[in-house]
Amino acid sequence: MTMTTPLTPEIVSHEGNSMVLSMGPQHPSTHGVLQLMLEIEGETVAKIDAEIGYLHTGIEKSAENLFWSQAQTVIERMDYLAPESNALCYVLACEKLLGITGEIPERANQIRVLFGELTRLASHCVWLGTHAIDIGAITVFFHCFDLRENILDLQEAAGGARMHPNYMRIGGVNGDLPAGFLDKLDALIEKFPKLMRDLRGLLQANPIFQDRTIDVGILPAEEAVRWSVTGPALRASGIAYDVRKAFPYCGYDQYTFDVPTRTEGDAYARFLVRLDEMEESMRIVAQVRKRLDVPGPVMTSNPKVAAPPKETIALSMEALIHHFKIVSEGFRVPPGDVYHAVESPRGELGYYIVSDGGNRPYRVRTRPPSLYNLQALRGIAPGNFIADLVVMIGSLDPVFGEVDR
Amino acid sequence: MPSTQQPPIAGAAIDPTSLRAPSLDDARVERVAPAHLRERLEQLKNDGFSMLLDLGAADYLQRVPRFDVIYHLLKMPMAPAPVTALSPQRLRVLCGVDGTSPHLPTVTDLWKSADWAEREVFDLFGIVFDGHPELRRIQMPRDWEGHPLRKDYPLRGPARERSPRPPFALKSNVAAGTPPSGQTLEALQEQVKRAAEGRSTS
Repeated sequence: MTMTTPLTPEIVSHEGNSMVLSMGPQHPSTHGVLQLMLEIEGETVAKIDAEIGYLHTGIEKSAENLFWSQAQTVIERMDYLAPESNALCYVLACEKLLGITGEIPERANQIRVLFGELTRLASHCVWLGTHAIDIGAITVFFHCFDLRENILDLQEAAGGARMHPNYMRIGGVNGDLPAGFLDKLDALIEKFPKLMRDLRGLLQANPIFQDRTIDVGILPAEEAVRWSVTGPALRASGIAYDVRKAFPYCGYDQYTFDVPTRTEGDAYARFLVRLDEMEESMRIVAQVRKRLDVPGPVMTSNPKVAAPPKETIALSMEALIHHFKIVSEGFRVPPGDVYHAVESPRGELGYYIVSDGGNRPYRVRTRPPSLYNLQALRGIAPGNFIADLVVMIGSLDPVFGEVDR
Repeated sequence: MPSTQQPPIAGAAIDPTSLRAPSLDDARVERVAPAHLRERLEQLKNDGFSMLLDLGAADYLQRVPRFDVIYHLLKMPMAPAPVTALSPQRLRVLCGVDGTSPHLPTVTDLWKSADWAEREVFDLFGIVFDGHPELRRIQMPRDWEGHPLRKDYPLRGPARERSPRPPFALKSNVAAGTPPSGQTLEALQEQVKRAAEGRSTS
């Protein structure tokens, strides 16, 4: 095992102009959870190393010690800006292990797609707001959080909580959409084009914003593949890889949408791809909305994973026992291993899950898109100014709950 | 929530990965021996599996070999391509690693992204990747002992197995001179003295 010395602030090379600078974890653009060690020559970054792990909470270890359905609650907390994506990926993987993928009701899949896209919109709102603030544009933040608040309201109405609704369940979703939900959704669909026009109007043609982002942090397609970059960052480099198109799940192949791509691969291209993606997401939401008028079941009736309906519990002894068993003991999942991936707002989010036949997952390994996207910073930062690092981190959109897990 | 301090090694299935063939997902699965790992991965990379999606590990405590290191590969062009030109394919390569001194060759020279992934596996499982340029802990603090994702590592960490009642909460400890909370030093000393006298007289 060869060990090289990690960059530490104590090491200052006096040869030439280079010195080591620690950026973060207190630096505002690193949001308190990332430390960058920079070897700089004047204002130019020569070498960069990142210290992560500030938010490491052992979620994978915790998940091994919880029931299959309980593990979902900690897994939602990995990518706290897009909890529904995490939950969706986990339940889809579990359903494959259980062999009940074909039993999920149509309406449940539609609701899953709906929240998969709404959570992408909400997540991109936070990215855009904070990215703009890092660069110096403050107004955008309020517009973004206005839109996000509308989406969180919908999440709260359906799942009961704003941030971590735990609405996806193995076998379907937790309860049908409440009364009045579709009206709120209609209102959001109606006002969305204006909100989007405002957001674009504030930044897209803004000369200061363009100066800060065009030709900054260029990531060529070849490099992006070498660094395993996925999601909007990969598509801004020209490769139109989207899990929703490549390996469709939840009936994504029934909806019409495009995969926005750019070829420049700089921070401005990543910005444009994400904005286009928000519009595509809303296009999918509008298509789902049309199908949601038809009522139907939202949970599989398979007694192996689904508790019996509440009204039967008071009438049937068997239903009561069954309900008690599922709540107190969980259900067992046949042994095997499975990898399932979804397109999260940050890229390919995958779960590699091993079951030993028990009522708890044996191993839950996450493929965190943020970790790999952030790692690419080591490839694109050298040769750039320190001030542009802030733009580069923002344009890669890492979420540290997921990087550190 | 039932709190389990014992790691859940419940199932009789010691190697769940061998039980479901063909695989449940859209990936092709291969198992290679550590000796042929580099050779096979290089070959696959040349066949167009140019993206290393993920590198992870799993611990099967009772199995020989004990660990599995899992490489998820994706077929991907190295140049800009529209949706219609893509024909992505997934491949999973599993490699068993011995438990007594877990060693594997690094793949950081094939895929740059393997760098942090291998550091994470080293950090959380203690598997050493020979030839890695900078193999040190990534998630846990630098001076941490042990590898948390191993199955024989307790959930709350070593030496935190039980949370006993603090000594001052037990009446019997007053005799030993442990101060109950909320008392002055004099009162405490007095109490200790009385307890000591009481013990000697009885």
